Amino acid sequence: MINNFKVNSNEIDKFKKISKQEKEFRIKNLNLFNKNGFPNNKSEDWKFSDLRDIVSKNFKKLDVQIINSKSKNTTLIKNFDHNFLVLINGNLSSSNFDFEEKNKIKIKNFYNDNFSDINKYNPLIHLNHALSDTGYSLEIADNYKFKKTLVIYNIFTKELNENILNSRNKIQIGKNSELHTIDLVVNESKNKFMNNVYENVILKENAIYKNICIQNEKSDGFFHKFSKNTLSSKSKYSSFIFPSGLKFNKLDLEFNLEGEGSECNLQAASLLNKNDHQEIKTRINHLVPNCKSYQIVKNVLNTESKGVYQGKIFVKDIAQKTDAYQLSKALLLNDNSEFNSKPELEIYADDVKCSHGSTSGSIDETSIYYLMSRGLNREESVRLLVSGFLNEIIEMIKSNSIKKFVQKKIEEQIHGN
Amino acid sequence: MLEIKNLKASINSRDIIKGLDITIKPGELHAIMGPNGSGKSTLANVLSGKNGYHISGVIQYKGKNLIEIPVDERAQKGIFLAFQYPTEIPGVNTNNFLKTSLNKVRKSKGEKELDTLTFLKIVKEKSAELGIDEKILSRQLNVGFSGGEKKKNEILQMKILDPSFMILDETDSGLDIDALKTIANGVNSSRDKKKSFLVITHYQRLLNYIKPDFVHVLSDGKIVKSGGMELAVELEKTGYKKIK
Ligand SMILES: Nc1ncnc2c1ncn2[C@@H]1O[C@H](COP(=O)(O)OP(=O)(O)OP(=O)(O)O)[C@@H](O)[C@H]1O
Ligand SMILES: [Mg+2]
Repeated sequence: MINNFKVNSNEIDKFKKISKQEKEFRIKNLNLFNKNGFPNNKSEDWKFSDLRDIVSKNFKKLDVQIINSKSKNTTLIKNFDHNFLVLINGNLSSSNFDFEEKNKIKIKNFYNDNFSDINKYNPLIHLNHALSDTGYSLEIADNYKFKKTLVIYNIFTKELNENILNSRNKIQIGKNSELHTIDLVVNESKNKFMNNVYENVILKENAIYKNICIQNEKSDGFFHKFSKNTLSSKSKYSSFIFPSGLKFNKLDLEFNLEGEGSECNLQAASLLNKNDHQEIKTRINHLVPNCKSYQIVKNVLNTESKGVYQGKIFVKDIAQKTDAYQLSKALLLNDNSEFNSKPELEIYADDVKCSHGSTSGSIDETSIYYLMSRGLNREESVRLLVSGFLNEIIEMIKSNSIKKFVQKKIEEQIHGN
Repeated sequence: MLEIKNLKASINSRDIIKGLDITIKPGELHAIMGPNGSGKSTLANVLSGKNGYHISGVIQYKGKNLIEIPVDERAQKGIFLAFQYPTEIPGVNTNNFLKTSLNKVRKSKGEKELDTLTFLKIVKEKSAELGIDEKILSRQLNVGFSGGEKKKNEILQMKILDPSFMILDETDSGLDIDALKTIANGVNSSRDKKKSFLVITHYQRLLNYIKPDFVHVLSDGKIVKSGGMELAVELEKTGYKKIK
């Protein structure tokens, strides 16, 4: 088992044709990562998710080499007109924007031209910045509304075996433009692997971004994603995330409300099964007046699963009239599951509306009795209550076709196939 | 249909039903009246099979002892309880739930499961028959339903599941005149010589519409008096004090 995972500095030499600046950036990050390796529970941000322990218990080795897998034919979602990107093990392998005006869209393979931004806290970001060489960059011009949804197929292949993938993605949406995406994880892998993603979303003035993220195929994946989102004035961000089925999953989401009147909505619903460990960590920075943030996170925890929600709302002194809302609800199906919720408010402005709440409880026996008195057995009743609990989030999706699609995915998961 | 002998039920070491006998024959409608806290809902729960009670005595249903049989199987065997306080279940679509429920009941009777279209046709038919707005069925189960809507929804479920022994626990409480007629209509249209009812109520007005064969007074966990419709009329005038 891996005790003290470090990355050899000659890994950086393998990147040919990079600028001196980039090389320095990678080395700097590599050194930052190597100083302490994977974070453990002594670090405040990893208090509930001791990644060092998890890695050492689950991996004998971790290969940082980039896997070059050839694309097989991707099965696209049927009866649903959409644009798509196909990512294979994080690598952009094909894209299709047939429904759109192509000159409004710039899609590129991974690149990075920002070598100044050194993250202070997160070793996984250091690791990513040291090694990432895959991913995509998508830029949408000003004044362009997508006609159809963009589906991003995230495929993980059979070749994966104790690898760690580091990829870096960027989405930038121009002024008055609008993009809807669905992130869909397609898992073909059979073995353990780690996936470490750095994502950067930039919304210009008045831009709208709506995302639905569906990860519900069972896999031996250990995922970490850091997402940095920047919102200019009057821009709107909404994300529905339906993560589950992973051995380990940590979503670390940062939102910077930098422009007045911007708004961010985050809705998450998860069903965690045996041995799943999932953490959603958010930090919403209200930096200017008149912004709104809304977060609702629901977790259903089955036997021996662990869920964590750490939600922080920061309101800068000048950010008057902030409206921030945060709610976490957990449904524990079993005594030996565990849920931790840690809301945090840090507020320096005085004229703000901030509320947060957190509930966790077991299944309601009165409801079970009611359902059983209509002929459903206990198992069916529990399933119905679980789907009802998660449905409250799904019902918030506006598009009917997407709602149905998500519902079907979640039902499959509840029925264990 | 149903034979209850020396039934006793306690919960949290509190005796609530204290030796109760009732025999209900096929086709009969029995009414139970009684003061608050006398054990009427407890009796309804015990008959439907709710967990948590300590029970002794005999409950024979269609010749079989029910006591060991769990709630869901009793429902499948045709026992239906219209709840005094129907539970709100967020996120669960009423129609989806009803379809699952009906198919469970049908399956246990060896009947074919229904597809969505056929199911919706039945729902449409039954709600029209009762004069219930079927729109509430596309909402979450009982969530935000008004008191009257909840009660009507119980009766609609009863009509759809087509049980053979029906318990109504104060389904008439808190209803306006029209809703009361809806409920009475639901009961009357289900009556036939193979089906029986146990109707718990505080008021004579429902009984005027549904004409019970027997009226029993439950007080402190026991039947203290039985009679016909005239007993309900008398109770309306004198209250329960004289009966004890
Ligand atoms: N779980 C319980 N634990 C303790 N006491 C209980 C429990 N359930 C019911 N009781 C008590 O048993 C008695 C009978 O309750 P029940 O609900 O059966 O009365 P009821 O006749 O239906 O009254 P109402 O007319 O008000 O509906 C009440 O005093 C009640 O407080
Ligand atoms: Mg009662």
